[in-house]
Amino acid sequence: MEPHAMTDSRSDFHEELERLKSDMVRMAAAVTEGVARVTEALLRQDVAEADQIVAADDELDLLALETEERMIEVIALQAPVASDLRKVLVDLRMVMEVERSGDLVTNIAKAIPRLQGAELSPQLRGLIDQMREEAVKLFRKAIDAYVEGDAGLAATVDEFDDRLDALHVEYLDALFASFGTSQMTPQQGFQLAVIGRFYERIGDHAVNISERVQYMVTGSLPAHAGAERARARRIAEEQARS
Amino acid sequence: MTDADRVTTDERTGGMSMADERATAGPRVGEGAEDRHRDQTGERDHITPSIELKTDFASTHTEDEATAGAAIVLDVRDVAVYYGDFRAVAGVNLPIRMNEVTGMIGPSGCGKSTMLRAFNRMNDLILGARVEGLISYHGIDLYGPDVDPVEVRRRIGMVFQKPNPFPKSIYDNVAYGPRIAGQRKGLEEVVERSLRSAALWDEVKDRLKDSALSLSGGQQQRLCIARAIAIEPDVVLMDEPCSALDPIATNAIEELIRQLREDYTIVIVTHNMQQAARISDRTAFFTTNVSGGKRTGELVEFDYTDKLFTNPGDKRTEDYLTGRFG
Repeated sequence: MEPHAMTDSRSDFHEELERLKSDMVRMAAAVTEGVARVTEALLRQDVAEADQIVAADDELDLLALETEERMIEVIALQAPVASDLRKVLVDLRMVMEVERSGDLVTNIAKAIPRLQGAELSPQLRGLIDQMREEAVKLFRKAIDAYVEGDAGLAATVDEFDDRLDALHVEYLDALFASFGTSQMTPQQGFQLAVIGRFYERIGDHAVNISERVQYMVTGSLPAHAGAERARARRIAEEQARS
Repeated sequence: MTDADRVTTDERTGGMSMADERATAGPRVGEGAEDRHRDQTGERDHITPSIELKTDFASTHTEDEATAGAAIVLDVRDVAVYYGDFRAVAGVNLPIRMNEVTGMIGPSGCGKSTMLRAFNRMNDLILGARVEGLISYHGIDLYGPDVDPVEVRRRIGMVFQKPNPFPKSIYDNVAYGPRIAGQRKGLEEVVERSLRSAALWDEVKDRLKDSALSLSGGQQQRLCIARAIAIEPDVVLMDEPCSALDPIATNAIEELIRQLREDYTIVIVTHNMQQAARISDRTAFFTTNVSGGKRTGELVEFDYTDKLFTNPGDKRTEDYLTGRFG
C-alpha cells in the first residue's frame, strides 16, 4: 500500500490534547524547580525563601484544577477512545501525582522555620543534596518518558527509585547517629526525619507517573504485587470450592 | 391482492416477499419439502426447520484469547464477495458467536454491509454477485447446493436502515411470515410474543388492526424487528437499524438489542462507533484497501469491544477510531 498523508478529522480535539500535554510538562517543571529551590532554602535555613515557596504552591494548585477541568470536558464532549482515551486517563492521574508532589515540596518548605538553629552535619547536608538530585532526576525521567511516549524509559524509573530509597535509609541512619553530637531539639530531629520521607515520596510519585506512562503507551495496566497475590488467592479459593 | 400489495423485492422486505406465498403454496421437490411437517389436519401449528442442524458444533478456530467463548453460529472462512468483476470484500475470517452481539464498523465502502448481506444470501438477489470461500451456519455450508435460500432467510433474519413495514395492519405485519410458512393456528400468540420481545406490545396491543404506517419511526423499526423474530430465527442481522431514528428511539432499539441477545445471535452494521461500543460484545473493523488501483474491503481487526476501544492492536483501527483517515 502506498503511503499517503494522514488527515486528522479531529484536529481541534487532538490539539487540545497537545495543549494539555504541554501544561502537564509545565507543572512538572514547577515541581522539579521547587525541589531544587526548597533544598537550597533548607540548607541555608532561609525562612523568607521558604515562605515564597509555600505561596507558589497556590499557583500549582490552581493550574492543576484548571487542567483537570479541561480534561473532564474532553471526556464529556469528545468521547475519546483507544490511545486518545488512554492519554486523557493518564493525564488525569498525572495531574494528581504532580499536584501531590508540589504539596510535598511545600511540606519541606513549611518545616524550614521549625529548623532554626538546628545543626546539620556535613554528612547530613550531603545526603539531603543527593536526595534532591535523585528526586529531580527521577521526576525528569518520568516526564521525558511521558513526552516521548517511551515505555522503555518509563520502565527504568522504578529501578532509579531504589537508589533514592537507599539514600533515604542512609540519611535516617546519619540523622540518628547525629542526635548525640549535633545541636538540635528532639522535635527538630523528628522534623528532619520526616523531611527525608518527603523526598522519598516525591520519588514514589515519579514512579507512579512512569507506570501510567507505560499504560498510555502499551495499553496494559501496571502489575501490582499486592493485587497479584490477591488474585492468586482468589483462584486458589475457587479451585478449592469446585 | 392488489398491485400495491405485491412486494416482490426481497431486499425491501427483509427476505420475505409476498411472492413467496405463491412459491410455498404447493409441495416442493428436493428442497427439504415442508409437506413433511404438516400435522394430521394438514394445518401447520408450528414452524419446523427444513435444514438439519448439527447440534454439536466443534469450533475449529484456534482457541486464543480473542476467539474463545460461545459456540460459533456463522463461521466465515477466507470469504470474498464479488459483484461481477468487482471484488467488494476479500480475505474475511470471522466467527460469529451464539448469543453475542457482533458489531461491524468501518468507513463507507469497506464491505461491511456486503458481508452482512452474505450472511443471509441477500446478495443472491443482485445480478452477478457471488461468494467465494466458506460461510458455514451451524456447520452447514450456507451456499451449498442443497440449501434453500428462503429457508436461510427465515433462520437468519434482517432488519434494515429504513423501517419498512408492509402497508398492512400491525397484526398482519407480524403474522405475515408465520402465515406464509404455512402456520394457521396460534398466530395470536406468535404476534403477542414477538411484539413483547420487540418491546412494542404495550404500545400497540389495543390497536393491532391499525395500519403499521401510522406508527412512529422508532415504533416501525421495532415492528420490523418483531416481524423478523416472529418466524423464530436464530440470527438477526441489522444494517444500521438506528440511522433513521432520533436519539430516544435509538436508545430504545439499543436497549432492545441488549435484551434480544439472550435469545438470538445479533450482527449489527453501524456507522456510529459509539453505538458499536455501547452494544456489541465483539467488534469487527473493516477498511478499504486501495492497491493496484482497486478498492477492496478487508477485515482489519476483530476483538472484544472493550479491548478494541481501549487498546486496538492494528494501527489502522487506532487511526480510524481516533479520527485519523488515510
